[in-house]
Amino acid sequence: MSRPATSATSTAASARRLWTRARGAALVLALVLIGGLVLATMRSSDSHGALDPRSADPNGSRAVAELLEARGVTITLVTTLDEATTAADSDATLLVTTPDLLTEPQQSALRRAVTGSVGRTVLVGAGHPSLSVLAPGVTSATSVPVENRAPSCDLAAATRAGSVDLGGERYRTAPGSTADSCYPADGLPSLVRLPGPDTTDTVLLGSPDILHNDRLDQQGNASLALQLLGSRPHLVWYLPSLTDASATADTPGDDTTGNFLALIPSGWLWGTLQLAIAALLAAIWRGRRLGPLVTERLPVALRASEATEGRARLYRKANARDRAASVLRTATRTRIAPLLGVPVQDAHSSERLLPALSARLPETTADPRNLLFGPAPADDAALIRLADQLDALEREVRTS
Amino acid sequence: MALTGRTALIAALGSLPVGVLAPSWAGMLAVNAPLSLAILCDYALAAPVRTLQFTRSGDTSVRLGDAADVQLTVTNPSRRTLRAQLRDAWPPSSWLPGTEQTSSRHRLTVPAGERRRLTTSLRPTRRGDRHAERITVRSYGPLGLAARQGNHEVPWTVRVLPPFTSRKHLPSRLARLRELDGRTSVLTRGEGTEFDSLREYVPGDDTRSIDWRATARQTTVAVRTWRPERDRHILIVLDTGRTSAGRVGDVPRLDASMDAALLLTALASRAGDRVDLLAYDRRLRAQVQGRSARDVLPTVVDALAPLEPELVETDARGLAATALARAPRRSLIVLLTSLDEAPIEEGLLPVLPQLAQRHTVLVASVADPHIADMAAKRGAIEGVYEAAAATQTRVQRSRTAEQLHRHGVTVVDASPDTLAPALADAYLALKAAGRL
Repeated sequence: MSRPATSATSTAASARRLWTRARGAALVLALVLIGGLVLATMRSSDSHGALDPRSADPNGSRAVAELLEARGVTITLVTTLDEATTAADSDATLLVTTPDLLTEPQQSALRRAVTGSVGRTVLVGAGHPSLSVLAPGVTSATSVPVENRAPSCDLAAATRAGSVDLGGERYRTAPGSTADSCYPADGLPSLVRLPGPDTTDTVLLGSPDILHNDRLDQQGNASLALQLLGSRPHLVWYLPSLTDASATADTPGDDTTGNFLALIPSGWLWGTLQLAIAALLAAIWRGRRLGPLVTERLPVALRASEATEGRARLYRKANARDRAASVLRTATRTRIAPLLGVPVQDAHSSERLLPALSARLPETTADPRNLLFGPAPADDAALIRLADQLDALEREVRTS
Repeated sequence: MALTGRTALIAALGSLPVGVLAPSWAGMLAVNAPLSLAILCDYALAAPVRTLQFTRSGDTSVRLGDAADVQLTVTNPSRRTLRAQLRDAWPPSSWLPGTEQTSSRHRLTVPAGERRRLTTSLRPTRRGDRHAERITVRSYGPLGLAARQGNHEVPWTVRVLPPFTSRKHLPSRLARLRELDGRTSVLTRGEGTEFDSLREYVPGDDTRSIDWRATARQTTVAVRTWRPERDRHILIVLDTGRTSAGRVGDVPRLDASMDAALLLTALASRAGDRVDLLAYDRRLRAQVQGRSARDVLPTVVDALAPLEPELVETDARGLAATALARAPRRSLIVLLTSLDEAPIEEGLLPVLPQLAQRHTVLVASVADPHIADMAAKRGAIEGVYEAAAATQTRVQRSRTAEQLHRHGVTVVDASPDTLAPALADAYLALKAAGRL
């Protein structure tokens, strides 16, 4: 027996309908995937990012690296702190391209490693996050745009290079220090050389532009770059990366969490994992509805008395005592007039109604004229009293 | 595909062997691989849902407040036993609040090639048509770990009719009607009366009704008796515009008007009058025309059932034109609307002379008891302001009624529970006065 045909009442979608429904989404998905692939292929030229000695991009630094190698300087490219500290020695220049990327423990480690043992440390664009550890005694001021600036100092490299494109971070050195402060912008230098123990020193460079491929041939950029980086026979080019293991290791508190998980018996961990699978299955069980919600067009639900209630609130808001009093008085007059034998059209004239009323109720306590035709009540209490007195009057007329 | 609580429970129990015996990936695999396999087998062995066949039978109409039973026959043509949970979905107002789960869900077992009948009991809470939504079936496998789920559309409609609660007033009004009939001679001769028979004079009869010619032929004095003319035409016009949507108590004005219209229809059709019906706001919503006395009431009930108030201003001119077109000869036009000042003054009053010129017009309106409650409020300042506002509303209503009176229109303004008998009494009074 072949498979029985689908019942005519079933709403299950056929394969054709599923395809009709899904093809639009599939087309969009395919377009996105193809577009992403094409873009990735087009953009994957040999660009390795900014300040990379392998990069020929405008922001790369391949030009300066090749110039240095032509002058006999060997370049070692490193991306982790461990490599940087092992590669650098007293015969080397250590170039740190973005010191702000380093975490504080990394900065301390770097500082310990380089002090007195590395020939020259060049920090490019070091700002507030890294200065306090890497260059104690120097603070950063507000940054300025990169412009062509004159050396205005005695540093031999600077005077030889002449004016260069510099700017970015500006530095403020402690008073009385022996640092060379060059290329000032508005009085504060954007290049600072801090002499260290022996022949070592640390150079702070406010902006990386002199190392970029596109600016290297302008002004004295190349000259300054070659003198700063080529003073030692060896150059360690350190590009800090976020994947560096030393960035996360050795942080305080890390030991305890690692040990806590290690302290739990593995049976509990695996059991919990299996329970998580059970929870997922339970979620699927409870999440599947037995058919969709049924909607229904509901009728409007508004009370017929809403307009009247709204008017009452309006009276209250506007303190319309005069209006309320006049309405209540008119209604009472209309009701008692037939009881007193006064025609309805005369109910609102005091000349006709009041004599009939006084004839009917000779010794009433209330003042009928004031009650039925008097002025508007002065306050809320008077209005409440008026309503009660009108009721009392009507009762008296009915029972007399 | 759907899972069951049993699956989750087995997976949770599996954490014991994983935790105690084999806390490793191997242990996890040893527990979960057989479970997954069991789920897949169970899914594959569950009876298919899309081949099931359904037929419906049962009630197609029910009076509001009563229960309707709709039968559903499930045929399982496959070679596997169907163990399923079934949901017969209807709109939410088909059940009393809170009973939907128990009323709509069924558990059933249908062996291969057999059929079973289920009964879904509806208890609608609103008037109108209820259309069956889809049927959802969840077919469990033999292990109860996994289920197939699918839907079927099996159309069925249950029409929920107006409750006609005022039918309890019908016997007393029919008795009054018999009094009016020629069997008693309390009647005076009027415009809408016709000669019924001659009978012997008894003291107390109106001497004007003595037929002298017949007396001369007989030895006793003969009097003529009259009875209300039969076969008059009554046109009931329901205004379904925005004013009919306002709720009095918890029921829209339209429903109270319908109740009154039904009692009038029942009474007039017994009295031998022809009843037509019209529901109108800006266009014709329902009409009943030219039905015989026997089937006019069911037809009217059926026509009124799906009516809903529309949130539009009633087009009084169009309403009058439609009513005139439906009433070619002298008729009693019963207009069920509201006595709100603005719609009457701007809509109805200008067209009223056209109607009143040829026909007798009766305007019936649902009064709101809440307004009376508000008018009696005293004590706090809010209460007094409410009393003033309510009094103002009543004055406006009575002024509107006064204006209608001046055009020769009979006005019936009563609360929802008294409107139907009041309208029936007004009709009887008109009939007695021979004004039909």
